[in-house]
Amino acid sequence: MKTKFFILVLTSLIGFSSALFAENLRMAYSSSPRSIDPFPYGGASTAGYKEHVFEALVAADDSPLLSTGWVWNSPTSLTVNLRRGIKFHNGEDFTARDVVYSACRMMYRVDGKRNLLTSSMGPISDVVEVDSHTVRFETKNPYPLWIQKMKFLSMLSASGGDLRPGPITYDPEGNCGIKSYPTRDDFENGNAAVGTGPFKHVSYSKTLAVLQRNDAYWGEKSIWEGVEISSVSNSGARLAGLLAGDYDVIENPTTEDVKALEDNSSFAYTGKPAWRTMFVVLNVDPKGAPGVSASDGSAPLSNLKVRKAMSLAINREAITDRLFGGNATVANQYAPSYRAGAPEMPGLEYNPEKAKSLLSEAGYKDGFTLSFSTPSDRYPNGVRVAQALTQYWSRIGIKVELNSQPWSVFAKARKAREMGAFFYGWGHPQGPAQMISFAFATRNKDLGLGSSNYSNYSSEAFDAAITSWAVETNPDKSNEHVASAMEAAMADLPGIPVYYTHSIWAHRSDLKINGRQDERTHATMVSYK
Amino acid sequence: MLSFTLKRLGQSSVLVLIMSVLVFFCMYVVSDPVAVLASDDFTEEDLIVLARELGVDKPIVVQYYQFISKLLQGDFGISFVYNQPVLPLILERLPATLEVAILAIMIGLCVGVPMGIYSGLNRKKKVTKAISFITTVGYSIPNFWQALLLIIVFAVWLKIVPASGRGDTTVLFGVGWSFFNLDGLRHMLLPAVNLAIYKICMQTRLARSGTQEVMFQDYITFARAKGLPRHRIIRRHLLRNILIPIVTITGLELGGLIAFSTVTESVFSWPGIGKLLIDSIHHADRPVVVAYLILITLMFVIINFIVDIVYAVLDPRIRHTQ
Repeated sequence: MKTKFFILVLTSLIGFSSALFAENLRMAYSSSPRSIDPFPYGGASTAGYKEHVFEALVAADDSPLLSTGWVWNSPTSLTVNLRRGIKFHNGEDFTARDVVYSACRMMYRVDGKRNLLTSSMGPISDVVEVDSHTVRFETKNPYPLWIQKMKFLSMLSASGGDLRPGPITYDPEGNCGIKSYPTRDDFENGNAAVGTGPFKHVSYSKTLAVLQRNDAYWGEKSIWEGVEISSVSNSGARLAGLLAGDYDVIENPTTEDVKALEDNSSFAYTGKPAWRTMFVVLNVDPKGAPGVSASDGSAPLSNLKVRKAMSLAINREAITDRLFGGNATVANQYAPSYRAGAPEMPGLEYNPEKAKSLLSEAGYKDGFTLSFSTPSDRYPNGVRVAQALTQYWSRIGIKVELNSQPWSVFAKARKAREMGAFFYGWGHPQGPAQMISFAFATRNKDLGLGSSNYSNYSSEAFDAAITSWAVETNPDKSNEHVASAMEAAMADLPGIPVYYTHSIWAHRSDLKINGRQDERTHATMVSYK
Repeated sequence: MLSFTLKRLGQSSVLVLIMSVLVFFCMYVVSDPVAVLASDDFTEEDLIVLARELGVDKPIVVQYYQFISKLLQGDFGISFVYNQPVLPLILERLPATLEVAILAIMIGLCVGVPMGIYSGLNRKKKVTKAISFITTVGYSIPNFWQALLLIIVFAVWLKIVPASGRGDTTVLFGVGWSFFNLDGLRHMLLPAVNLAIYKICMQTRLARSGTQEVMFQDYITFARAKGLPRHRIIRRHLLRNILIPIVTITGLELGGLIAFSTVTESVFSWPGIGKLLIDSIHHADRPVVVAYLILITLMFVIINFIVDIVYAVLDPRIRHTQ
């Protein structure tokens, strides 16, 4: 009898078509946001989602968003002018007081846990309300990177029960004198999810978030009345959802999915070069690197000729054309060459014969043994590229052992510095010098440099250029320092850039996507053709 | 009865303890939550602070000791990834898994048992041979591939059900269930069918072999001789006697469905505890993995216990020999 009931249900469902047409946009992310609280977590999904509801002073593409501009009064004092006429979703005006409040909330530790900018705001000594639409940030040392960091400081409304009227004093140790801040639950049930963004929070669970258009938005109103963001981590299921009509836009289709879409006229895909450099990190320590050995007991990776040979052996164009179908860009430096502020650099040569002779010159005519690691589940086509690299190096005589591990295991080995060579990708939301400042600078706690230096690389020329960059507030001079640093690092090759990734979105063919370069997906990217 | 229960309780506690030690130390050896959760711009100081926040900066034995002492007070710890207490995190996702598991079991029983009885009673017919073939194929298809096949056929080509996700829920007793509204049922159908296919094959075979065995028993012959109609023989005599192995297997399968529907939940993006387990393993979220496995161990123990009791209830012979 239960069987009959189900047959009945099935036949009645055949009459249903998929979602009724409405101006609702349904998107599927490839991973789920960790929380709707905009302060604690980073990651593309969390960041992409929160930007619908919350905004910051600076936009992702480095332009002013809730601000109209900024000026360095001195190397340690930054005045930011706020845009007028902006209202929060609860109707309150956006003023300088909200900026101070948001800074205080960023420094407030819920359950003692840190937030996104807790250590980045270490150099901030004061946040002052100059007047209702002007804020001044005081820093302990010159801190030009603060402008980029402000992208992550979401603006909250300084309203609600516990706040006394009047200006708020920035006092991170004393929680700015405010007794209670919104908790994660307050955000998730919507009470605190009040921002200035183009959409308002309706409901949130880890697999489905529902948003509604903010009709009082200060900027261009979205064409979408509502947005539903699902998270489908299985790429096959995500594509199936698109094809079944459950979603209008999906993130990150695989290379095979993209090929399948080319033949399907109801669907299309849009690619956009992203700000992520994929490269090989090499441990250049002259004392030797784990997993790397030569018959004479020397440290091959510490020899510049060896590193140059390894770079010459790689056919980057074959990788971007064959493995990605053109949806990747050949790399010529450590930052995406199209990132604003990245210097002009010559292309990287492919010449396996020259590579072999360089290797002999270095004393490794018979090659050496190299253990090369890659995360198996983190980068699209990551393992295939690693296999290609393995083959290219094998051709010039290096015995490569490829080690592909899940991210959780890989991360542990990397942190414990157990890997001599590994494949990795760096994003650049904070500017063209982001990767090199963390990965190649000698460790410098005060300036926040070199904290991810797994290459054990230390160069005076590079350090001089990058430390000048770290304190230079003039944008043109800053770019000059980046250029010097990039040239110095590329001359030494402590890492080998391979390619820049593209973000790909698959969608209905009647839609068009104005893609972003920071790997996030936002409803305002999507419009009708 | 009492000594039986106490012995079981004792065995289960030892089992849970061993399980917790194994998982705890395995996760510690294999992955490092600080490495997984740290972002690239973390300084060394940030890493140390993160380790302290997560509670992993102490020696592993101390961590285990703290974990056990909290566990004995009913506190399963805080998730590294979500920064929420673990038990509520698991419990909030449990209804989703439960409802799909229950629907799958129901489909398995309601489709499988009648098919099995039919094939047991009509051994020579062509339909029976077809059923035999189908169940063999159903057994052998890998779950993952089967799920994607169902999605392609029913969601992409026929468009009668959505491809993934959980639909609207109706709240009953403070918990949301998908059973009671159409959208929820539509979303639940494919995952449940995916899990049910294997169950149907299993139940069909069990019912068939049980039927074949029982049909030759004396009491069936006697009932036929008495002149009882066929449907009454099937319902009253046959069904009860083949039920014992079916119930036993169903109980064990229920446990397996609840605990390990990870593949189905991943493919269908079904927000249940199986998906939570897989995601937590990927992110080295040790508190969730350990708590999950302890709860699952307990669940299996309880289910086995109940099955033993039901077994005794169903079969008077067991009751009287104990």
